Amino acid sequence: MRVTQSMLTGNMLRNLSQSYQRMGKYQDQLSTGKRITKPSDDPVVAMKGMEYRTDLTEVEQFKRNLSEVNSWMENSDAALDEAGQVLHRVRELTVQASNGTYEDSQRGAIADEIGQLRDHLINIANTKVAGKYIFNGTDTTNAPVNADGIVVRPNGTEAIKIEVSKGIKLKVNIDEDKAFSQDLFDDLQGLVDELNNAGSSGEQLNAFIGKVDSHLDEVVSERAELGARYNRVEMVQDRVAEQEVIANRILSDNEDADMERVIIDLKTQESVHRAALAAGARIIQPTLMDFLR
Amino acid sequence: MSSTFHGLETSLRGLRTHQSALNTTGHNISNASTPGYSRQRVNFSQTEPYPAAARNRPQVPGQMGTGVEAGTVQRVRESFLDLQFRGENTKSGYWASRSDALQKMEEVMNEPSDHGLAKTMDRFWQSLQDLAVNPEDSGARSVVRQRGIALAETFNYLSSSLNSIRDDFKTQIDVTAKEINSIAEQINDINKQIGEIEPHGYLTNDLYDKRDALVDRLSELANVKVTAVGSGGQSLDIAEGKYTIELMDASGNSIGTLVDGANLTGNTLEILDSDSNGLMDSFALTPFGSNTQGPATPIENFTSKGKLLGLIESYGKEDTGGNVSGIYPEMLSKVDEMAYQFATEFNNVHESGYGLSSTSPNTNTGKKFFDELTSTQGAASQIKLHSDVTGANGLNNIAASTDGNAGDGSNALALGEVKDETFTFSSGDSTLQSFYEGIIGEMAVDAQQANRLMDNSNTLKQSVEERRQSVSGVSLDEEMTKMMQFQHAYNAAARNITSIDEMLDRIINGMGRVGR
Repeated sequence: MRVTQSMLTGNMLRNLSQSYQRMGKYQDQLSTGKRITKPSDDPVVAMKGMEYRTDLTEVEQFKRNLSEVNSWMENSDAALDEAGQVLHRVRELTVQASNGTYEDSQRGAIADEIGQLRDHLINIANTKVAGKYIFNGTDTTNAPVNADGIVVRPNGTEAIKIEVSKGIKLKVNIDEDKAFSQDLFDDLQGLVDELNNAGSSGEQLNAFIGKVDSHLDEVVSERAELGARYNRVEMVQDRVAEQEVIANRILSDNEDADMERVIIDLKTQESVHRAALAAGARIIQPTLMDFLR
Repeated sequence: MSSTFHGLETSLRGLRTHQSALNTTGHNISNASTPGYSRQRVNFSQTEPYPAAARNRPQVPGQMGTGVEAGTVQRVRESFLDLQFRGENTKSGYWASRSDALQKMEEVMNEPSDHGLAKTMDRFWQSLQDLAVNPEDSGARSVVRQRGIALAETFNYLSSSLNSIRDDFKTQIDVTAKEINSIAEQINDINKQIGEIEPHGYLTNDLYDKRDALVDRLSELANVKVTAVGSGGQSLDIAEGKYTIELMDASGNSIGTLVDGANLTGNTLEILDSDSNGLMDSFALTPFGSNTQGPATPIENFTSKGKLLGLIESYGKEDTGGNVSGIYPEMLSKVDEMAYQFATEFNNVHESGYGLSSTSPNTNTGKKFFDELTSTQGAASQIKLHSDVTGANGLNNIAASTDGNAGDGSNALALGEVKDETFTFSSGDSTLQSFYEGIIGEMAVDAQQANRLMDNSNTLKQSVEERRQSVSGVSLDEEMTKMMQFQHAYNAAARNITSIDEMLDRIINGMGRVGR
């Protein structure tokens, strides 16, 4: 094959531009940290990349939802704990009052305290977290119990569900019709009324101990159920945290550039480029003219 | 007997011939960098020997050479390589324009990234989750609204960007067709000149070069076949004649003549959108200078695989059956389909839920989130939030609840689940996400193929071009060597004249004074 100067020059230019192109590719990879910059670089990686990104966004969202779940459950738990203590105190006072040795004025004092405790229970039932009433089903903008101890929506116990994992929705509120039922407030009011009634006997008062006990049971069992659910939340939480790590790793495996490799490739390409330049410099210069003077 | 001055004449021919060879060498060197130039060579031939064998020939011993003459000046070129080059150039033109179109599309779609439609959708779903958790919160509601706006705007942006790039292809189709026509006219002009010169026994080397360069350029734009037509008269056997250039379809059949070498005329190519629906549906060839357009041929017959076809396929065409194809129209219709299905279903779910309301029972229901879309076509460009949601009290109209209570986020969850719903798309049943992934994947594979084939045809084109250069390219070293050769031959011929001169001088002036 006959080879001419212009062929050599043309080839050299082409080689240099290809070399620059490759270095450009490595530069892209190094500066973005990604193996691909456009889908056609690797369609499979690109498609998977989109999917993994969505997975990751979902997992991050579930993590966020879980912290909301925690807030609901922890606040509910704390409120139930307090309600339990209040009922214990009510029980104590009822037991004291029922032994028949107290005078009317002493009973009156106990009635006052129980009245206060009843008001406190109303407050607990109206617990507000981040602007929401947590014990009123889905009607979170209205108080469940009014100042007179009347449960406004006796049957409004809709579940509030939060998605914590793909397709898994957890109920985060408690059944307030059990823990904070109309009976509870009525019974306490009844107890107060009975204590204020001079004619009431110890036995009549004694009957309230059973009622208080049954309310206490309900609070405790709600709390136990909540605790059981909370255990489940913790498990989900662990799994979601794990999923986040996995999603991140898969995303990275899929599209992140292998830095060491890219740097070595770049170095190799650089030396090839230098060689191409040096070869060019040697080839282009001398012609026959340079030797015939 | 030969003439006394025979030797002078012989050497003079040597001088003249080598002088013309040197001139041609100079021409070669001058054009060493001219694109499309093929080196030229003077074909030397010996002149008729003396005496010619004839009945009345003089009785002299032997035939004596009478020197040299410059026969023809010829291009050094191999036409088979031209054929190969043009074939590859056609393919490279086609794939380069497809690859360019797809590359621009990839840039617009911008996937996978943190700014593409997929991410915007993810963010929108995310905001719905937040709304489901905090349905009574106006902050969560306004995030949903803003993300909804962002999503609609992303659809609008995709649609308008794809459309504006597509419009560019229309302009490019016109420009490319004009270029083809301009080249055809130039070739026709050169044909005319060649047709006037060749019959006189000349080779119009520089015109050939010019014409071949034009054909090379033309071959990038469309697949063409070149046939030579003799010029007649006293044309040399090696004269190349006039070119007839035909447009060829994919199976190698002619679909029309661009340049008619025999009749020195040609046709103007036009790509037509006869029903003005923004899709090319036919093409026509109109004779040069004619005011009436030639018969229109359906576009599906135009399969001449060059840059022009690549552009037409990017822009979109419609065959006689009304079937639409094309890289951009197809992508646009898929994005439209996605926007339509999404907005319609989202609205359905949205309308069944309750917004926030202070009235009891809650009557804040049946509101739309997106403007109702009447048809799939153009859905991506039309999708926008409904005034129910953007207007006064708009935030409260976002239907997060299924039971009407403020704290119920289950309709927001249901809205979020639209993400995982299976829709019936024209390409089959799938979720929005996997449909979109499919779109991007298909585009990616198309682009990858176009890039690969463009690279391949470029490589082949370059290797053919190199072989062509190897035959026709000017080598300065070679010209230098030839220059020396011709110079020495010229000098030697001149020296021969001197020697004959001295011989004659001896005869005429130096011999004895006999008879004086």
